[in-house]
Amino acid sequence: MSAKTLRHLIVIGLIALWEILPRTGLIPELFLPSLSSTLRAGWNEAPEYGHALAVTLYEVAISMAIACGGGILLGAIVGSLPRPRVLIMPMVSSLYAVPLVILYPVFTVWLGIGTESKIAFASIYGFLPTMLATAAGIQTIDPQLILAARSMGATMSQRLVRVIIPAAIPTVLSGLRVGGALVIVGVVVSEMLISSAGIGYLISRYRTILDSPHVFAGVLLVLFMAMAFNALIKWIERKAAIWQTGTRAGQSAADDVGSGAVQPAT
Amino acid sequence: MQPLANVTPLKPPPRAGAIEVKNVGQIFKTSTQDVVALDSVSLEIKPGRFVVLVGPSGCGKSTLLMMMAGLRQQTTGTITINGAPIPKPDPDRVGVVFQEASLFPWLTAEENVEFPLALRGVAKAERRAKAQEALKLVGLDGFGKRHPHELSGGMKQRVSIARGLVQDPPVLLMDEPFAALDEQTRMTMGDELLRIWSATGKTVVFVTHSLTEAVYLADEVIVMSARPGRIVDHLQVPLPRPRTYEMLSGDAFGTLRDRIWRHIRKSA
Ligand SMILES: Nc1ncnc2c1ncn2[C@@H]1O[C@H](COP(=O)(O)OP(=O)(O)OP(=O)(O)O)[C@@H](O)[C@H]1O
Ligand SMILES: [Mg+2]
Repeated sequence: MSAKTLRHLIVIGLIALWEILPRTGLIPELFLPSLSSTLRAGWNEAPEYGHALAVTLYEVAISMAIACGGGILLGAIVGSLPRPRVLIMPMVSSLYAVPLVILYPVFTVWLGIGTESKIAFASIYGFLPTMLATAAGIQTIDPQLILAARSMGATMSQRLVRVIIPAAIPTVLSGLRVGGALVIVGVVVSEMLISSAGIGYLISRYRTILDSPHVFAGVLLVLFMAMAFNALIKWIERKAAIWQTGTRAGQSAADDVGSGAVQPAT
Repeated sequence: MQPLANVTPLKPPPRAGAIEVKNVGQIFKTSTQDVVALDSVSLEIKPGRFVVLVGPSGCGKSTLLMMMAGLRQQTTGTITINGAPIPKPDPDRVGVVFQEASLFPWLTAEENVEFPLALRGVAKAERRAKAQEALKLVGLDGFGKRHPHELSGGMKQRVSIARGLVQDPPVLLMDEPFAALDEQTRMTMGDELLRIWSATGKTVVFVTHSLTEAVYLADEVIVMSARPGRIVDHLQVPLPRPRTYEMLSGDAFGTLRDRIWRHIRKSA
């Protein structure tokens, strides 16, 4: 049996357990409502969930753009210039160890409890790994490649477009994977903490009234969001990085990032 | 008399490709001290010659090659290629092959060979045709669609040579191109290089640490001393061409190799 079919079987098994365990009464419905009652709860309040999903997706989209765009841009600058690297990298790395969620209450004071404070928090949250990965990706480019390009008469901008960017893509993508996932975490967590809209808010509100099916309907939506994001990144990786197997530098840097070296404290 | 157009010369006549190095020095300024890498190096290389550069590690062979390629500027002296200075890399005059094949891993073999042409905006069809021709010359017909990680070390270095040749420069500079290859591959690559060289008539400057390789390949061997690099000998290799494996055990070969070795031992 291939690993893939095995994975599918495990997922199907878990879904089945989700339905069976609460129904047979092995687990009280309060702890884990059955899949069917969860889906029913979500379906009955579809407009409410739809609206919450729209709010959350909007926040995620904006934060993602800021975190990834800003992270790649600043990472590229920091990675390619030695002086900012020496100045900024140690700061960013130690900032990374701080559980940034402690900043969120401050943001709500500054920006209110609307979307702005969520976007600010999630952007910063996802920005750091993206920036660190991009800087690492640029730093680990084989200088021989740039020398070879120079010997063939490549100008500065040709070297950037034709060598530096393609060489950095695998590492940057692995940064985006972590950064983007953290953006989703950041938005949902901040909605759960202090807010008045979004899926995180719904989950948290239904939790206070012990309405488990509605809580789990929200959880399911977040799960789908994360899965969709993962599929998107996988698709981009396939498109952009057929050659990954060929580079030692790109690969080891990607491994560093992937293995949680850049995983922050929450 | 026969019309000229019907005469096909066995070997194309040597073309432009003269290299002149006059009193060239290179000083690297580091934070702690100034390193004199090269001290007043002068040499003249005639078009179409196969010249090998040897010398102890750190004597400035790569540095000299970098300067001939326009990748680095000398501190003192002048370098001319085809009679003109080379203030920046000029792929029309000089092609460079490095020790690590330095292929772009995200491009196929043929895209790698096309790279220098793409930089100059050559049309796709023409690029492809020239790349095919260059790949054929290095014996890689039919491997154009592979990525570098799907090629052996020797094949990668062939692609890299094809890339150096694709713009048909009169001068080809090679910095230890076969150093990373195993001995057998290295021998065949040497023969291949000689074949390509005699088919194209280019001036080749070739750096190596292997004295056998040096004598086997060269018309002339230039021996440099340890830092600061100077030229201590410039010897002609009178062995006939084509070179054969049997020559390696001949007396003439041994004498030349000994002479080079004595210089290097003295200065290292
Ligand atoms: N960028 C640099 N900054 C300072 N010193 C340098 C620099 N590049 C080279 N050098 C020094 O210049 C000298 C010549 O270096 P080079 O690489 O040309 O030697 P080489 O003859 O090619 O050696 P090898 O046979 O080991 O390749 C060395 O002593 C090296 O330390
Ligand atoms: Mg060298």
